[in-house]
Amino acid sequence: MKHLVPEFERLKARFPAGFESSLVLPCLRRIQEDRGFVADSDIAGLAAYLGVPRIQIEEALSFYTQFRRKPIGRWHVQACRNVSCSMRGAERLIDHLRRRLGVAPGETTPDGRFTLSTVECLGSCGTAPVVMVNDAYHEGMTAEKIDALLAGLE
Amino acid sequence: MPEIFIDGRAVQAEKDQTVLQAALANGIFIPYFCWHPQLSVAGNCRICVVEVEAKGGSWLDISCNMPVSEGMRVRTDSEEVRAQRKAILQFITLNHPVDCGICDKAGECTLQDYHYAYNGAPSISHDPKVRATKFFDLSRRILLDNERCILCSRCVRFTREISKSHALGIEDRGDHSLVRPAEDGCFDDDPYSDNVIDLCPVGALLAKSFLYKARVWYLRPTPSVCPGCERGCAVNLWHRRPEWQLNALDPRQNTAIARVTPRENPAVNGPWICNKGRDLAAIFERARAEQAMLKGAPVGLAEAIAAARRLIEAARHPVALVSNWGSNEELAAFKRSLAGRFSAAFVKIDRQPDPGERLEDDFLIKRDKNPNTAGARALFDDAPAALPAATDLVLVWGEGGDFARLPAGAKTILLGSYLAPENGHADVFIPVSIQTERRGSYTNFAGVVSTFEPCFAKKPAVADAEALFAQLGAEERVPA
Repeated sequence: MKHLVPEFERLKARFPAGFESSLVLPCLRRIQEDRGFVADSDIAGLAAYLGVPRIQIEEALSFYTQFRRKPIGRWHVQACRNVSCSMRGAERLIDHLRRRLGVAPGETTPDGRFTLSTVECLGSCGTAPVVMVNDAYHEGMTAEKIDALLAGLE
Repeated sequence: MPEIFIDGRAVQAEKDQTVLQAALANGIFIPYFCWHPQLSVAGNCRICVVEVEAKGGSWLDISCNMPVSEGMRVRTDSEEVRAQRKAILQFITLNHPVDCGICDKAGECTLQDYHYAYNGAPSISHDPKVRATKFFDLSRRILLDNERCILCSRCVRFTREISKSHALGIEDRGDHSLVRPAEDGCFDDDPYSDNVIDLCPVGALLAKSFLYKARVWYLRPTPSVCPGCERGCAVNLWHRRPEWQLNALDPRQNTAIARVTPRENPAVNGPWICNKGRDLAAIFERARAEQAMLKGAPVGLAEAIAAARRLIEAARHPVALVSNWGSNEELAAFKRSLAGRFSAAFVKIDRQPDPGERLEDDFLIKRDKNPNTAGARALFDDAPAALPAATDLVLVWGEGGDFARLPAGAKTILLGSYLAPENGHADVFIPVSIQTERRGSYTNFAGVVSTFEPCFAKKPAVADAEALFAQLGAEERVPA
């Protein structure tokens, strides 16, 4: 986390003094972007850096499911299972992903390549069903398109 | 002073009060779970809902977060309020297991009381209840039952606003929310942690030391004063009610301290005490000395008293070391009846801090770990580094006397309450009662006098110090 401190300093300048706890979320996002997850040492480091009680950081981490406390696979496959996607076959897609990857949602393949997750609305209902792989949206998905997509990922 | 109308009654409120505070101050009860007079307003339980009447119509809102304003009219018991409370209780008990039959809190549970007072109906939900962790170790001292928790956040606010350990938080969200301690274990280091057990309005936070010990309605709280330090916090000592004595099981349970809780005293401790105050049983329930002795040989109490009188009469330079665990009444009796027979009487410091014990902080805990040093110092001088060499008799009252450092050849009279090796070495040993067996008062570091009441009867073989001093000091030989 230490090497991110100059960035955090720039963030800090955007908040009035005494609002250090407002920096918890942006700092945690940056840490996760950098490391892939938030390690225990990051929490301790951030608590010390911001002077915020550790429990407040733990609360934020557990409130937002987007935060991870453990490393995940190289490719994070997130399948939406909200209303629009479900009506357009998301549950079948998720079943297909389970079979193809051999893992249940929340699990990582033994080779560390894929982590499968189910998520709530990704905000792309017009092109349901949607699957997100790392930062990219893949819209109007079918089993065939999934197979092609996975084949192209190392 | 704004005047407001609660249920049609004109009430004088303070300018910065909320409707809930104004109502309670004027004897009008509004139920509350999450609100607490010493904590910030969370406003999450909603049970303190009232109806605000205005020209354009009326509306429902929570009274804990509603500042008073001149002429405002609220109703605490209208049809709408009653219906709303009932609905709120349905929500609060949505995932509550209603396991009062096996819950330690039953009998003093706010949720239980409110359910009978304001709802009384079984759950109308068809959905299965959310399952959560039970018997979760919140700390070494406290168990958490997350299914019983109603997420009022009182415990969380306590650690942030009062004890300042910032050790608790609410993790996850929605109906999966869980009260959790910070992962670095700082809740174990919070010397005030057990206050969250009293704060909990339901049976979610439980003292491990009291778990399944007793139904609270079989217990009686006796007002007492914590002797753990010179703060002298007001406490209640809970023990078996005499009318509910156990005839089976271990009879010692009838004379045991089941638990200790704070007794509110704004002049000393507010509504809080530290964890040491919860563990007074560890101090009071040490093995007791109940046998008078002459150089270790058991004798009757009267015989020991007569021997002590003879020693005092024969001594030319007797010195007394009085206990700073003695009550003001006992110290005054000593001064009145006995001090004149001694060349000097000094205050002895009975107890030193235990290893690892927190010495002092800016909240309640004080450095002197004795309850009545101020009261003793008001009557007697501090002990010098060494007693005069001519001293030929030392009366040691209480613990902490250093027998190795007494003048050589001096006779000793020891008044003690607990079994200790030195009891058998004293020329005369007289067992005396402890705080839980008598009435009295202590003067704390700030000069506040607090009184304590007896919980248990003194055994006949044990002397009461106040009466003992009169006997020892009487001019005429008292009949044995």
